[in-house]
Amino acid sequence: MRLGRLASTIAIHIRGKDLPTYTPSVDMGAFVIVVNAEKIAVTGKKRYQKLYRRHSGRPGGMKVETFDQLQQRIPERIVEHAVRGMLPKGRLGRRLFTKLKVYKGPEHPHAAQKPVPLPISDKRIMLDK
Amino acid sequence: AIRITTRVKRGSVARKYRKNILDFASGFRGAHSRLFRTATQQKQKALTRAYVDRKNKKRTLRRLWIARINAVARRYGSTHSGLIHDFYKNRVLLNCKILAQVATLDAYSFLKIIEEVNEKKS
Repeated sequence: MRLGRLASTIAIHIRGKDLPTYTPSVDMGAFVIVVNAEKIAVTGKKRYQKLYRRHSGRPGGMKVETFDQLQQRIPERIVEHAVRGMLPKGRLGRRLFTKLKVYKGPEHPHAAQKPVPLPISDKRIMLDK
Repeated sequence: AIRITTRVKRGSVARKYRKNILDFASGFRGAHSRLFRTATQQKQKALTRAYVDRKNKKRTLRRLWIARINAVARRYGSTHSGLIHDFYKNRVLLNCKILAQVATLDAYSFLKIIEEVNEKKS
């Protein structure tokens, strides 16, 4: 499963753009649970060349990591970072982001909500499979 | 020239003028609904924005309708642009975007419309 394609479909479902009752000013999307986050893939040399940057606010505080290193350290963050960039920015966007739950490994604690598998209608993902 | 200046008391004219503006600004936040001078500015802004937004409303509503039609269309394998193209080609001109209401409230009818157009295509 490729990072950007997955993140794109996730963001659409979180935002609710697949529903005929779509309303941009309201949080009416679905919750999305992502498992096996450490299995996410990128093509080409991105595994060793894609950089994740963050800045601590202090001078000289820029920290840079590659996709590879981040995946070993905190794999959930890769998916979160990708989806966050695809959600709207702003108060509602931040609230939407809390609807995303990402987990390493195949288990998640939300069995009580009876999650259904996400319907993927993106042609690029279907073709991949 | 002889100027006759009779005495004029200003009376409550000023008060009425200020009250008028402050009534318009009721419900505004903080000083904007209480202080006359700031309220005047906010009234001006409010009226200007209302004018602009009456024009913008037409645009934003159309965007919303298109997004909703797109959502339903993609669920059934086509896209908003594809649907509209088919509607125009087959002279289904009934569909003003406001019939995105149909898609939202009465999904079954919307599907029937799509099916009819698909039949007309083939």
